[in-house]
Amino acid sequence: MVFLAKTSTSDEWKAVISAISTLVEEATFESTVEGITFRGMDPSHVALIDISWPNSAFEKYECDSDIKFGVRIDEFSKLIKRAEKNDSIEISISEDNMLLVSVGKNKKYKMRLIESSASDTPLPKITYDAKIALVSTEFDKILGDVQVVSDYLSISASSTKASFSGRGDSGEVLITLEKGMEEIPEISVKQDSTATYSLEYLNPIVKAVGNTTGTVICEYSTAKPLRIEFKVANIGRIYFYLAPRVES
Amino acid sequence: MKFSHLADTFAMMENTTKRLELTQHLVKLFKKTPPEVISHVTYLLQGKLRPNYEGVELGVADKIALKAISKSAGIPLKRIEKEYQESGDLGHAASKILQQKTQTTFLVEPITVERMYDTLFKVAKLRGSRSQDMKMKYISSLLNDASPTEARFILKIITSTLRLGIADNTIMDSLAIAFTTSKENRPELERAYNVSSDLGSVAEAIAKKGLTGITDFQVSIFKPVRPMLAERVKSPQEAQEKMGKEFAAEYKLDGERVQIHLEGDKVLLYSRSLEDITSYYPDIVERVTKSLKVKKAILEAEAVAINEDSGEFLPFQELMHRRRKYKIAKAVSQYPITINFFDILYVDGKDCLDMSYNDRRKKLEEIIQEDQFARLVPMTIAKTENDVEDFLENSINAGCEGLMLKMIDAPYRAGARGNSWLKLKREYRNELGDSLDLVVIGAFFGKGRRTGRYGTLLLATYNDEEDVFPSICKVGTGFTDENLDQFYQILSNKVKLKKSSRVKSEMEADVWFEPELVIEIVASEITLSPIHNTALNVIRKGSGLALRFPKFTGKIRLEKNPENASTVQEVISLYNGQKKAIHDEHKTERT
Repeated sequence: MVFLAKTSTSDEWKAVISAISTLVEEATFESTVEGITFRGMDPSHVALIDISWPNSAFEKYECDSDIKFGVRIDEFSKLIKRAEKNDSIEISISEDNMLLVSVGKNKKYKMRLIESSASDTPLPKITYDAKIALVSTEFDKILGDVQVVSDYLSISASSTKASFSGRGDSGEVLITLEKGMEEIPEISVKQDSTATYSLEYLNPIVKAVGNTTGTVICEYSTAKPLRIEFKVANIGRIYFYLAPRVES
Repeated sequence: MKFSHLADTFAMMENTTKRLELTQHLVKLFKKTPPEVISHVTYLLQGKLRPNYEGVELGVADKIALKAISKSAGIPLKRIEKEYQESGDLGHAASKILQQKTQTTFLVEPITVERMYDTLFKVAKLRGSRSQDMKMKYISSLLNDASPTEARFILKIITSTLRLGIADNTIMDSLAIAFTTSKENRPELERAYNVSSDLGSVAEAIAKKGLTGITDFQVSIFKPVRPMLAERVKSPQEAQEKMGKEFAAEYKLDGERVQIHLEGDKVLLYSRSLEDITSYYPDIVERVTKSLKVKKAILEAEAVAINEDSGEFLPFQELMHRRRKYKIAKAVSQYPITINFFDILYVDGKDCLDMSYNDRRKKLEEIIQEDQFARLVPMTIAKTENDVEDFLENSINAGCEGLMLKMIDAPYRAGARGNSWLKLKREYRNELGDSLDLVVIGAFFGKGRRTGRYGTLLLATYNDEEDVFPSICKVGTGFTDENLDQFYQILSNKVKLKKSSRVKSEMEADVWFEPELVIEIVASEITLSPIHNTALNVIRKGSGLALRFPKFTGKIRLEKNPENASTVQEVISLYNGQKKAIHDEHKTERT
């Protein structure tokens, strides 16, 4: 078995780990000839992360068979945080089934692996009626604005504008972005759509990954799940799925 | 097996108080249960996850449970707290709230008994700084997949408020009917339970192998035996009448009853309620093997605090200083004890339960080398009422509570209260003639010197038929300053947002507690009361019984479970006895 994956900086792993850590405590990665993937759902089954990290995004990548390896996210995170920004990270698996992590020129960690318990997480099969691309810093701001009065974000999109609103005990908020404004590079809508999502799940993931990406793409349909795509340099893509809230 | 089977059975059981119907529901459930999970089902029915002696605590704080409901339903905590305040029952609140659930999920996995049990086990085992949050998440993950009925019982189980109105006996009856077709076989099950203290294993054995499975149960080291209990008598005369012409009288020491299991150097100690209390008594662990001539045994003894200079026995509450997690070593040297043996249940591969008291006592005398630390409980053979009176006098002068009286030819009847053991306590200087062990269910804040502490406690008896705690009196006298601090320290952790469903009281206490702490009370008499709920409607319609001039004796009975508190029946018989005495008095006056 040959497995080795090297990134030229530590940013990539930092982004991946902080994304995953918003949902689960333990993570199982899968490596194939094509690259590394991760898929996991939070224990409440409300949110799901799907990461695909193609071999081309690595500085060096070798893998001749399919392997799975599980880590405790808190342990892995502490270790990766010891890396400077420009330190390369190289991971492989030792013969005694430990994760070998070479950080920069001269640091070599050996970390225990955990039994991968993850059952296959199916992706929700959905068609999306609305697609909005947002500057990620702007999206983060909107979430902050809504949080002031509400625990939930409602998104409405039509062909000309997108509006973000929230309502709580203390009051309500409405933020509107018109097509053509620089905060919203793209809006395409097959059908006017409105849906509501919990900020408890949105905030952490946007905080965790948002700053490593220029734009985020939100896709959803009325009262259906939301999919956010984060394009992160040298990783490929991170999909975040969130189940909607529906008023009963 | 689907958890819904269990939840549906629970729901039906909640609708009846008739024992026959409860038994029928259980029989049906057990017949449907695969043998691999029957132990889990049995523990859940008992409101636990493992036998007591393993110390796996299920309890989840209300706050965590509320947060989990909030997370699963996607509904703000405040609304859930309000629902809880209104319905008074977390289970009902959860099922109502989850019906209004607004957060959808990607996946619904049906809850199996196995998943339920495994999740609860993980929750019980979580330790450390982030454990509260993790507990909340685990519970929330169950609630996500739960139907409203399932949610109701999940909440009841995790907050230990599941009240099905069944005792171990009903479970054993049902197992007997389900797997041996006849209730007649319950004594066999009882025997197996009494020697193993593990009803889950008993259920599994009988489900897998029938009666032969449980006849295999033997007394074994490191599995506590359910202790034999004693009936209470009021006078040497009554004792003599019940015991017959020759019987053993032992000092009743005012300490903690400890069951000592040892094999080689390994020693484990269990309390009267079968909890592992080894960590409180490192001195016993260290010294007990040196006092014994055998390597493998189960013994019963009373651990008693002493004054090392004078050798005097000190009262039970001195032992309380041992009940702590940290600095045990200091407590051991500050509050020295002696260990006083009074029975032997097993020795060198031999079960002693069927041996007579006489033979067991002889065996005990053979194997124990008495020294300053390890002793035999003083015993004499009594024949007359006078013998009892004299020995009682001696025992009280030695700082004991009274006497234990035991039939010399009786075997050790594990788990049973019968007439072969009697306890005779010293008489208190109050007209009631006996003290009561009552459960603290609520409190009122103190004023003046007691500001910031609980000035008055609300107490309850135990109704063992309905498994509830009806109030009987408020008590505010007999407390020292130290007591007040202790009560506050112990009780402030047990405050509930809402009166527990097991507590029956018409009072409006400032704070309510989970019924846990037992304290000893004396009083001048028992009177009819329009306010208190003990024996409500039993003597007179619309009235309960209350204590007049109750006073705390200074004894916190940490070794007792709330279920070991004085029962409603005991109070009724004390009340009737007192009426008889008054009646007799009147008669004498008239003549």
